[in-house]
Amino acid sequence: MLEKTMLIKMNQQAYGTTRFQILTGDQIEQIYFAALDVLEISGARISHPEALELFTNSDAVVSEDNRVRIPTAMVEQALGSCPSKSTLTGRNGKRSVKLQKNEVAFGSGADAGFVYDRKSGERRESSFADVEAAAKIVDYLPRLDFCMSHGRVSNAPNPKTYDRHQFLAMIKNCTKPLVVTSIDGDGLRDQWEMACLLRGGEKEFRLNPLFATFIRSDSPLMSSNDTVDKLLFATEKGIPAVYTPCAVLGVTAPASIAGVLVQTLADALFTVVLCCLKKPGSPLLLGGIQSVMAQAKETPSYGSPELHLTSAAMTEIYKWLGLLSSSAGGCTDAKVVDEQAASESVMSIYNNLMAGTNLIHQIGCLDGGLTGSLASLVMCDEIIGMVKQIAKGIQVTDETLALDILKEVGPGGEFLSHDHTYDHWKEWFRPTIIDRSNYEVWSDSGSKTYNDRLEPEVDRILESHAPEPLDENIVQEMKKIINLADKKEV
Amino acid sequence: MSTRTNQTVNQTAQFSILSQDQKQRIFEGMIETLRNTGVHLHHEQARELLKEHGALVDGVSVKIPQNLILDALATVPPVTVVQSWDGTRKTLIEKNQVLFGPGPTPPNFTDPHTLERRKYVRTDAAMVARICQALPNIGFVQSLGTISDVTVSLADVYEFAEMVQNTTKPILSWAFSRNTCSDIHQIAIAMAGGEDAFKQCPNYVFYGEPISPLLSDFHAMDKAMYCAENGIPQVYTPCCIGGGTVPATHAGQLVCALSESMLGVVVAQLINPGTCVIMGGVQSIMDMQYSVYAYGAPELGLLSAALTEMAKFVGLPMFSTAGCTDTKILDPQGAIEAATSVHSAMLSGANFIHDVGYFESGMTGSVLQLVMADEQIGMSHVVARGIDINDETLAVEEICNAGPGGNYSDTDHTKKFAASLWQPTLMDRSSYEDWAAQGRKTMKDRIIEKTRDIIANFEGPISKVPEDTKKKIADILQAAEAREAENAGAKSK
Repeated sequence: MLEKTMLIKMNQQAYGTTRFQILTGDQIEQIYFAALDVLEISGARISHPEALELFTNSDAVVSEDNRVRIPTAMVEQALGSCPSKSTLTGRNGKRSVKLQKNEVAFGSGADAGFVYDRKSGERRESSFADVEAAAKIVDYLPRLDFCMSHGRVSNAPNPKTYDRHQFLAMIKNCTKPLVVTSIDGDGLRDQWEMACLLRGGEKEFRLNPLFATFIRSDSPLMSSNDTVDKLLFATEKGIPAVYTPCAVLGVTAPASIAGVLVQTLADALFTVVLCCLKKPGSPLLLGGIQSVMAQAKETPSYGSPELHLTSAAMTEIYKWLGLLSSSAGGCTDAKVVDEQAASESVMSIYNNLMAGTNLIHQIGCLDGGLTGSLASLVMCDEIIGMVKQIAKGIQVTDETLALDILKEVGPGGEFLSHDHTYDHWKEWFRPTIIDRSNYEVWSDSGSKTYNDRLEPEVDRILESHAPEPLDENIVQEMKKIINLADKKEV
Repeated sequence: MSTRTNQTVNQTAQFSILSQDQKQRIFEGMIETLRNTGVHLHHEQARELLKEHGALVDGVSVKIPQNLILDALATVPPVTVVQSWDGTRKTLIEKNQVLFGPGPTPPNFTDPHTLERRKYVRTDAAMVARICQALPNIGFVQSLGTISDVTVSLADVYEFAEMVQNTTKPILSWAFSRNTCSDIHQIAIAMAGGEDAFKQCPNYVFYGEPISPLLSDFHAMDKAMYCAENGIPQVYTPCCIGGGTVPATHAGQLVCALSESMLGVVVAQLINPGTCVIMGGVQSIMDMQYSVYAYGAPELGLLSAALTEMAKFVGLPMFSTAGCTDTKILDPQGAIEAATSVHSAMLSGANFIHDVGYFESGMTGSVLQLVMADEQIGMSHVVARGIDINDETLAVEEICNAGPGGNYSDTDHTKKFAASLWQPTLMDRSSYEDWAAQGRKTMKDRIIEKTRDIIANFEGPISKVPEDTKKKIADILQAAEAREAENAGAKSK
């Protein structure tokens, strides 16, 4: 018998996950310094009275044309006040999204004016029922972590309150945390009040937020009053805010990738300072949709590789600054779920996941964000599973190296019947819609394409999945808030 | 004016799956496997050679001591240059130099006109070569099929003869045996303009395949020896099936794959120190539901990228895999699986990334899948090449001049940098209205159109092939036919 001896292989370092990096620290530093230069030399312009007052009472220089220029010291002080983590928790407290460095969560989005009609194959205006259906699917899909409104509730009784209706459609059908969009500060207040009903109070919400608010700005370094309203309200109440500056290369931003990163970062840092002046320490996520212009449209392309590159790079920059991040993923310029939708979704999901973006939203969007597709949600769930498999990396241990097994089986042998295979094959990715049968099995079962298999899966989920119901009393309380808004705004 | 110092710059994206320590353990696993488990080698002359140099030989079993491996790795070349027959194109085989291309030998082919699955025929080889020549992101050529309408035992030679005249991109050829290997080599020499010209700079790469796990049959080794003797750069790589021919755990699969290629490296370096041997192969898992070797599994992307890291660790070039799928027809599944593996392979920095255009787990070749992947490779390249950071690209002056909410449309800066942005050829970014008015085409429709357009209108370099070279090729084919007829006759007697 062999004597037992201590065996240890020392000084070993392994990659716990696959590593991916576009920029070095030195390169990020260059971008950061350039963004600070922009804030000092050119600054940003806002017209929101409270924001202007906050800046006037600070060390910032506010000129008569509402141009605000910010010294570096203010920016760095504000950066120091940003919390390094936050958590979003769904309505039943069971499902949550950790917002902290290198934790990645995926979710649907956002506010598409149209949805792809699965019966006619045409697009049509999005309704309350469409948002409900998507929320139900998000609730079901294992790899989607949060729900953001798939479409706009265009059949709301009042065109200025669709945001509250979207909130209701999502909260009723999904127990995962939400990311919401609001028309304005009042809309956000109503959504927050509905969430406080669920959480049991304002402080409870602050401790344990149910949702993050997605605040998009389409004019670089010039946030509108509605944008600032939402930012200030979120900051005051401790609602995690996802500030998303959007720019089109060569139109509203420089055409060089580095230049658009500088501009986006300057815009984001300006917002960091503003929020800190309002109330230091409120959770803030910084995002960005920076892309080329889609032809014949004024909007950014949702599928360009430049979007994938700038998204990953912005995440790296935000991580380096200790900030939380968000990006668009799982979206496309294609008008239907085709090979283009698949390719562009893979690329955005791949690069954002590898970069470590905290919130990857916009999954299920077609046509540059104008059309929502339930089938795309289901497809992207599978894509996420595949990319996660690559991001997991490879374990190298005595058990996985399996040298003794290799010796035992020997040259020309087979591993299919070995226990070692049985013990480990379940670690592999298992497809849901993807088909790996051989040609004969496939043609015998009707020669179905990916789309032919995808649509019935959407039907199956819609028919069979029942989200945990929301307490009817709370629904009634929420409806009161919504009714009030519907009447007030008319 | 201040000066910047102490800068480290990522000139491309950086991607890595294994740490140095993890790579070292896999390397040690390979050393231990070849020493302790060994391989089965069905080639007497090769066994003798290995025995002479200190290997333990017992019947077909060969156990290789580590000094033989380390000596072999010490003589592999850091750079090999392959030059096209017309002298216009140089391909470097060196660390992190990436090329994509199709794969060899599926029995079936998707007809680009009828879209039906059918047998692969001789004219397909020329067509595939022309399409590869036309696609900007395809860097080397393989056939996507096995020719069914010529003398069966010469399908490899006809394939090479057809392809080489229709492309100047390097061909990765395969062969049944030393005989056909030699036929192909004679054609290559004819194209190069003589043996000296070929010796100066080879114009193709040979692809050979041992059997997993840890077994080299006579022909695989015989062809590898022929290539080493003649200074032909060669791929010596297995198709490892996780959970089938190798362990289900990825680390074990990497050990196996590395060991299997290493046998070819050791023999080739003993015969001709400094000859180019490329490791790698197809690395994926056995789908347990359908017992199919999964060409679209994410594990293929993961294993291929990790094995690429091992290749760089030991100093060998890498033959990797991507752009392939388990779908039977062009659909979003093919797009998902290809995009995932293409991006992984690109980021990993493998040399020859093959099997772009494989349908149905390698049973069918499709130029439609190839044309689609060409676009995906273009997208992947934009991300992989990273971001150029300098004072001009940072554009602080531009941003300050434009001011908040400023317009950048007509500036000189925009004109300069907008010109270098990626231009899609198959991705549609039009408005919904325009898209509907133009016939509601899906990407599949556009892929088919583009493919047919290339087939109809792209001629390729065939008119540049000198008449006497064409004559030489015809003579080589004729001689090969005579030899095969004689062999067949001898067999039937």
